[in-house]
Amino acid sequence: MKPKLKTRTEGVLTILNILSWIAFLGFMIEAGGVLVSYGISYVHPEAARKMYMGLNLYSVSQFSFWHYTLSVSILVAIAIMKAFVFFLAIKILSKVNLMNPFTIDVVRIMERMVHVLLGTWFMAMASNAHTAWLLKETGELHGDWVATEFIFMAGLMFIISQVFKRGVEIQSENDLTV
Amino acid sequence: MAIIVNLDVMMAKRKMSLNELSEKVDLTLANLSILKTGKAKAIRFSTLESICKALDCQPGDLLAFSKD
Repeated sequence: MKPKLKTRTEGVLTILNILSWIAFLGFMIEAGGVLVSYGISYVHPEAARKMYMGLNLYSVSQFSFWHYTLSVSILVAIAIMKAFVFFLAIKILSKVNLMNPFTIDVVRIMERMVHVLLGTWFMAMASNAHTAWLLKETGELHGDWVATEFIFMAGLMFIISQVFKRGVEIQSENDLTV
Repeated sequence: MAIIVNLDVMMAKRKMSLNELSEKVDLTLANLSILKTGKAKAIRFSTLESICKALDCQPGDLLAFSKD
């Protein structure tokens, strides 16, 4: 059997795969942590003071339970969407074959990633609007999202997916050249 | 497709099988099949040259144009 030639690109892709797994697990843990804290805060309202990594939603929970639930829902949704983006990145990295890198499967996953990133951008905008409203009502700031980074990433990913699409056409032409 | 590949016709005229042609022109059976079935998007001059040599014919015998 021919030994597999390890290239630099393969090494970089392996590192990216590991980093994507770490990010995916991190965001899943974040979503889980917020959900568990939310569950505990039903019984012990004080738990809302330490939701996740110093996030304090105690004053919101005291102001209105529904707004507290909405804040938690948005936080969890954004964390899950971010985790899903990295899950898709893991899928791309596992499907990429350096001999024939341009496949329609990878393009489809990239387009899905664009949709998820647009959804994350929308959620971040909704979260910002809700936070701004809560700031007016309670006088306290409970986290602010930089929503533009998601739309920027979605735009960038869309461009890459279109380039990949052209790559698929060129590769298929090359494969059908005798 | 407007360009028609008449490889099968020439092979029948020369009474040559796909395996035999594959050995003579040093092309895989899969690639020859792509060419024979008209799925190919392009053909290299070197491939055309070796097929013409093996079948003792002209490129015009292998390729034809049809208005469709």
